[in-house]
Amino acid sequence: MTQEELIAVAVDKSIDARGTSCPGPLLAAKKAIGQIEKDQVMEVLSADEGTKRDIPKWCGKKGFEYMGTIEESGFFKILLRK
Amino acid sequence: MENKKLCLALYTGSVDKLTAAGVILGGAAAEDMDVEIYVLLQAAFAFKKENAMTNDRVAEITDKKDEFLASLQRLSAPHWTQAFKTAKEMTNVKIHICGFAGKVWHGDKLDDFIDLADDICGIGEYISSAEEADVNLFI
Repeated sequence: MTQEELIAVAVDKSIDARGTSCPGPLLAAKKAIGQIEKDQVMEVLSADEGTKRDIPKWCGKKGFEYMGTIEESGFFKILLRK
Repeated sequence: MENKKLCLALYTGSVDKLTAAGVILGGAAAEDMDVEIYVLLQAAFAFKKENAMTNDRVAEITDKKDEFLASLQRLSAPHWTQAFKTAKEMTNVKIHICGFAGKVWHGDKLDDFIDLADDICGIGEYISSAEEADVNLFI
């Protein structure tokens, strides 16, 4: 997906993990994933660089769809579909 | 599908290595791994009730201890006990205190150790767990 397409995605749940370091964002995603239904979209806000690789790999192992990452000023948003 | 198993032989009683162990446990929890932790010698000191929150020894780069501890605070990194607790809440983590290690630090009973500990065991259990694990770590 392009950045424009990602930005236009309707998000069902947003998790702000910007105040945490590894593995905080990953654990926040893991905790929150149980709160959304199949096919719903969750975004994880993080400023921890390692999260950019951790969450896509975690999605692959858990059978979720990693949709992409949106760069913001000083942080980024990772979008995934359950 | 059966969960993958992580077996951790935890020897260290130093907060730098215990913090690293907590980070690894977080990764294991995110992946729903079953985790068996065997608390050996120096780690048993850190798991004693009277030591867990006050012990601030570091094993490496000891001349930068103050900077290291300040950085953990700056990054809002959880104390290692909290990281272990979070992992226990999120996946199947069992923490076993080595009976010999406990005695070295005058801890004969489970009650001598922080609530994270599940039981006191012998080394045979560790060997069996290590044989069965998908991932084995010694910290």
